[in-house]
Amino acid sequence: MSAATDMTPAIAIIPTQKPARDESARLGFRLTLPAQILVLFIAVFPILMQLYISLTDWSPLSGTDWWNAWELWNSFANYTDLVADNRFWSAMWRTAVVMLVCVPAEFLLGLALATLFADEFPGKRLLYSILLMPMMVVPAVAGYMFFMLFQSGGPVNDILSSLTGTRVAIAWLSDPTLALVAVMIADIWQWTPLMFLILLAGLVGVPEDQIKAATLLGANPWQRFTTIVLPKMKTIIIIALAIRVIENFKIFDTLYIMTGGGPGVATETISVYIYKVTTQDLIWGYVAAIALAILIVLSIVAVWAMKRMAAARVAA
Amino acid sequence: MKRSIPFEFFRYAAILAATAITLIPILWMASMAFKPIGEWSATGAELTWWPKEPTLANFRFIFGESDSSLIVALDRTATKPILSSLLSAVFGTAIAMGAGTAAAYGLSRFGSGQNLPLALIQLRLFPPMAVMIPVMIMWAFLNLTDTWWGLALVYGIVTLPFAFWLMKTFFDDMPREIEEAALVEGCSRLRVFTRITLPMMRAPLASAALFVFILNWSDYLIALLLTTREWVTVPVYMASLSSSMTGQLYGAKAALGLIAAIPPVIMGIAIQKHLVRGLTFGALKQ
Repeated sequence: MSAATDMTPAIAIIPTQKPARDESARLGFRLTLPAQILVLFIAVFPILMQLYISLTDWSPLSGTDWWNAWELWNSFANYTDLVADNRFWSAMWRTAVVMLVCVPAEFLLGLALATLFADEFPGKRLLYSILLMPMMVVPAVAGYMFFMLFQSGGPVNDILSSLTGTRVAIAWLSDPTLALVAVMIADIWQWTPLMFLILLAGLVGVPEDQIKAATLLGANPWQRFTTIVLPKMKTIIIIALAIRVIENFKIFDTLYIMTGGGPGVATETISVYIYKVTTQDLIWGYVAAIALAILIVLSIVAVWAMKRMAAARVAA
Repeated sequence: MKRSIPFEFFRYAAILAATAITLIPILWMASMAFKPIGEWSATGAELTWWPKEPTLANFRFIFGESDSSLIVALDRTATKPILSSLLSAVFGTAIAMGAGTAAAYGLSRFGSGQNLPLALIQLRLFPPMAVMIPVMIMWAFLNLTDTWWGLALVYGIVTLPFAFWLMKTFFDDMPREIEEAALVEGCSRLRVFTRITLPMMRAPLASAALFVFILNWSDYLIALLLTTREWVTVPVYMASLSSSMTGQLYGAKAALGLIAAIPPVIMGIAIQKHLVRGLTFGALKQ
């Protein structure tokens, strides 16, 4: 008893670091807890569940609850089916084509616009705001805008008619090739502003004295651009491209509203393909296998992208 | 730097061309929203960029007034889908911002939750389509399918990475002297967070919340999979405004599209200076 009363003042007078650190650690833990629970709830648990279902023939129509899916165990049949699924691979290929056209186009257009906006000029603020608008339009609504524009009696053909002087009535969305072109135009329209925004932020961050020095040394604008501006913007360019590659891979809303993946499967990208298999064919065990295969590939990309971003933050 | 006159001319020509291309789709839809049914699918010489007889009939139609020129009456109006979109986006934003802000502060100040940055980047990376099977099963089990609160929960989780990363970079940038002074004064760490840090961060919090709201409001795919009838959101409802019997209800859809498009555009312009930070997960600041 007496020992305890002796101890108490000593602690009060000479506080050690430990209680404060404990308090911080406890509060830090409590503050991060809700986010951790949400991640477990939507990421960790669902992915384990998906792994389990992907090894079975389970579907919502099979009449058993999902946890009894082992009754329909099929080992790795879904995965071997996937390797031989032509519709899956052609959807993958189509997604890659859309990406290989859209992302470079968005990048080059965005970079060109950013270069034009690099210094001050009258009307800059207003024009800047207008040029950013497409990326804020709800993608489904943007899809509907382009659905209207590309009707065979619609405004796009009307503009083409007045440019060529002949009556143009192309049925954009019912031609397999042109439908894909139309879908890509819509994506480029909506997401060039994002490239423009990010690249402009990078461009104004390039130190002006270096550019001036290069000018004094006799470098022409093109040399200044390739030897100073581009190297300085390397990380930013990688981030901008990574963001668009990731988002473009998911392409669904605009495309699905415009064509529904059609005509036939002409514009069926990977998200549209999974959506159709999910809602029409209802073979969820198989869908789980597709989804999981994609998630594994993307996780590897995520780790890589994360390292790039960490590097960028250190550099900034 | 002085620029030559030909350069200035070229610059304005290029920028104005880009502006025109940017505006054409938006203006076409805006114009369609005010066109009477007779002008909806006019082609050739009949096609006009401005409504010849502007009317509010399309707006009245989607809010329930029957239109004598249309055979169909809507079996439901746009009111409830708008409510559904609003409720799910607002509460989804609240969930993302609540959990995201707390976690960002915990990581930024106390180093807790080191796994979150990578976990949340991965969460963002996944196509929603690739994790929806388990979510659909769970939501059906929990009776959350076709409710705005079930949708809000998914939105809260899907946009959590943005809320977390945005707030983390804001907290990292904030000078700590005031917090440290309050600690010396004897405030508890929780009190410092709720009474000093959060009020100081009002403006960044508002920008982050608007950013997250735009993302939630813009969703189509998740609502398409998780709502069927009662609580469909605006984009899902909009896609249903056409059938084999009626054809495309162009004007009605355009009116609804205009209503859906206006709030995020205004909000986006309001938070322009934080857009870069938000879109690059804080890797870049403007």
